Amino acid sequence: MTLFLTALFAGLAVGSVYGLIALSYTVVFNSTAIFNIAQGDLMMAGVLTSYFCLDRWHLPQIVTLLVIIAVVEALSLIEERVAVRPFIRRPSTTLGWFIATLAFSLVLETVASIIYGQNPVVPIPGALGNGTFVIAGVHVATKFILAFVVMVVVMIALEIFYKRSWLGTAMRGVAEDREVAALRGIDGLRISRLAFLIAGLVTALAAFVVAPIVSADVTVGLTYALKGFIALSVGGFGSLRGCVIGGLLLGVAEQMFDLYINSNYEILAGLILVLLVLAVRPTGLFGTRAVREV
Amino acid sequence: MNELVSRLGLGSRSWLRWGLPAMLIILLYLVPQIGGSGSFRLGEYEEVLSFLVIAVALNIAMGYAGQYILGITAVFAAGAYGAILVAKYDPHAVGLLAMLVIGGAVGAAGGMIVGLPALRVGGFYLALVSLFAALAIPTVAQEWGFVGADTGIPLYAVAGFSPKITGELLFAVVVTLVLLTTLFSWLLVHSRVGHRFVALHTSEQLASSIGITSYRTKLLAILISSAIAGAAGGIYVYTQQFFAPGSSSVQFAVLLLAGMVIGGTGTITGPLIGCAIILGINQFFTSFQQYNGIVFGVLLLGFAIFLPNGLLARLSVVGDRLGINPARMPGTRPGRAAFGGAAASGSTAPPPASPAVLAANGSTAPAAGPPRGAGPARLPAWPPVIGADDASPLIVEGARRSFGGVTAVDDVDLTVNRGQIHGLIGSNGSGKTTLLNLISRFYSLDAGEIRIGSHRLDNRPPYAVARAGVARTFQSPKLMLRQTAVENVVPAVELRVRCLGVESVLRLPRGIRVNRQARDEALVVLEALGLQHILAQEANALPHGTRRLVELARAIALRPSFILLDEPAAGLSPTELELLTEVCQNLARSGVGVLLIEHNVPMVLSIADTVTCLHQGKRLFQGTPAELRADAAVASVFLGIDEPLETPS
Repeated sequence: MTLFLTALFAGLAVGSVYGLIALSYTVVFNSTAIFNIAQGDLMMAGVLTSYFCLDRWHLPQIVTLLVIIAVVEALSLIEERVAVRPFIRRPSTTLGWFIATLAFSLVLETVASIIYGQNPVVPIPGALGNGTFVIAGVHVATKFILAFVVMVVVMIALEIFYKRSWLGTAMRGVAEDREVAALRGIDGLRISRLAFLIAGLVTALAAFVVAPIVSADVTVGLTYALKGFIALSVGGFGSLRGCVIGGLLLGVAEQMFDLYINSNYEILAGLILVLLVLAVRPTGLFGTRAVREV
Repeated sequence: MNELVSRLGLGSRSWLRWGLPAMLIILLYLVPQIGGSGSFRLGEYEEVLSFLVIAVALNIAMGYAGQYILGITAVFAAGAYGAILVAKYDPHAVGLLAMLVIGGAVGAAGGMIVGLPALRVGGFYLALVSLFAALAIPTVAQEWGFVGADTGIPLYAVAGFSPKITGELLFAVVVTLVLLTTLFSWLLVHSRVGHRFVALHTSEQLASSIGITSYRTKLLAILISSAIAGAAGGIYVYTQQFFAPGSSSVQFAVLLLAGMVIGGTGTITGPLIGCAIILGINQFFTSFQQYNGIVFGVLLLGFAIFLPNGLLARLSVVGDRLGINPARMPGTRPGRAAFGGAAASGSTAPPPASPAVLAANGSTAPAAGPPRGAGPARLPAWPPVIGADDASPLIVEGARRSFGGVTAVDDVDLTVNRGQIHGLIGSNGSGKTTLLNLISRFYSLDAGEIRIGSHRLDNRPPYAVARAGVARTFQSPKLMLRQTAVENVVPAVELRVRCLGVESVLRLPRGIRVNRQARDEALVVLEALGLQHILAQEANALPHGTRRLVELARAIALRPSFILLDEPAAGLSPTELELLTEVCQNLARSGVGVLLIEHNVPMVLSIADTVTCLHQGKRLFQGTPAELRADAAVASVFLGIDEPLETPS
């Protein structure tokens, strides 16, 4: 039972990171109809920043968080400008934008591994120290709790933003029909930049909470990007709650796979999960609409 | 023969078109003589060559069918592991051919495991799910003792495995395999199967409007592509005698993609050239390998944005200027035009519809309708071929469809009789196009029924509607823009001239005959519409009105029982409009039921037998044009006046 609970909590923590990435995908997709695969490597850029701030320069956690946000936001803006905007006004008969974001992701990853160099992967200290809480008789690391809390807060904040604010409505409107939105005085390009900024913020927060969990491994950006996608497709495209549930499901499924089947083949948990969901319910658990034709 | 002469381009400098590739091929065979033929070197060449086979495979799925199976390296790895495992346990029995077959079969199975679920959503889902598989396979293999875990399986260390083909001969064999794969991809692309791929790639709605089953066609593309990529795994294993998790990484998948995009997706040789460059750099310039990601990433990004069609498209533009390519211009392909002309005169054009046809479908006597161009028809008759034996009308009953709070089509009844023109008018947003989309099943009904006679259509997928004999055009023409006018019409004919895909691809006797027949019939329809001067022009070079006519030709070439025209007159010149009017009348005369959505009310009233007028989703009026003119409700809604347009005399 203890083993089970430990695995469950670890799963929820890792799942929270998947959920955060899925949320950042959704923010971008909701206003640009573009799936930004580079989100995972943007997060790894944040993790790398975290490593430099905390491990090399010994900056305080709060300053680290601000630096991560600055770095990830800057990279997001660059990506929006060079890799995404050229495609926004084109008729998307091809997935050219997908290739462009993948290419950006490749560049990010290569630069990150050059900067990190041949150094061994080292652990990164968590914001709340290395302590643990006891929940249901199990020690749970504070870094796990932080990840979960951040994800829940981000999801609620996004939900309020989309439902209550004019800007949130405008952002959804642009994805629905760019021209009609333009007729209502909504500048599509500004909205797309804003979407990347918000997604960048979500990604920066994900980087901040995930750094103590994954350590300074900069090669796993694409892995996280793909797992974030699985969280998204399991939860259902376009639904914020779906992202969260999908992420948690994937995280827990992986840990259970480790515990009861074989931890060496953990990656299969995600593959099996996504293939099953697609076969049984292609729109995902919470998805209502099909992905728009591309 | 003329066709052959023109294709070989025996004019001016166009011999370069086949001379250059021939020289390149010879050079390819001579690589060991030029670059060194040590066994290590040969192995490296063969490795790159096996990757080129994957590039060809990916190009079929992605470049032609538009299915982004980016993680095709997963399929490659599956095929390679399959081949090497069989060789490990039965080293004496397994040769190159067996490895190709095993690799192909395992690869095809792997492609289906990913493709079957992922294609249910489509779009970038396939890309991501397959990439995840490409990530998962090496990760799992790394830990799995059965496949040699981290160190992989060294086949050269397996006692009893001695390849029969070695050294430079093996190199030559592998080059030949690459060339054969390329040839196969050419044959495939220029067959009825490839035509379906391109149509699907252009637009799923276009594809289903000519009866192409989208899910199955996508699966077929994935299947073919995966089988080839799996066979590439077989080649890899036979030449390298080794396979390990590191042999196929997800980064390698991105590398292949970069090569393809740079060379030119959707061209036969582009991906080969692009991948040869990229993989060559990666393989032979190892000193700055750690920076490759930046170089390739920037190249990929640059090409995706600025040259989405790749280097080869650029080259062919240059080639056009130098006169190397046989330009796709009218007149410069005499062979093709003459071919078409001969076909037109010698075709088995069916006789004009006899009065019996019209009488048989129980419609009102033509005499009751408006006058239809007396004298001999200029256009050949197009009697229905699909669904011709069933003379029942197309019936829409109580159709309803809402979008959110808006009821776009509200309880509409409508009947299109064979041999008649049914006009559908109404202001913008009155539900005309929605109704048409309901009939062709792009939307599903909330309530009501659509059927031909007693044959229900409303529970069938969109392609089945076309296969039941209902053709359509679109409000903004949907054409395959990189294809010529003829190539745009051919797939429609191919729906009804049956033959197996494999016969068409491999040019078996019936395949050749049917391929030619499809082309001939497409030419006949296009020429009837006066388009003989643009047959060989790419659709994106055509003006709007001409595109409409090409689309109309495609719908007619289906030889449907019913044809649904969505604002066909919009943007036509007066001459084209006249032609369109004649075409509609000719279709009706041939026994086709025409549903004509138009804003050009005078035109509709002059040719329609029955007119339905929609207003805010509801049917406001249905009757003859004369009755419409006399209808008070129509006048009040459209003109805001209380009197009808014409007082009944």
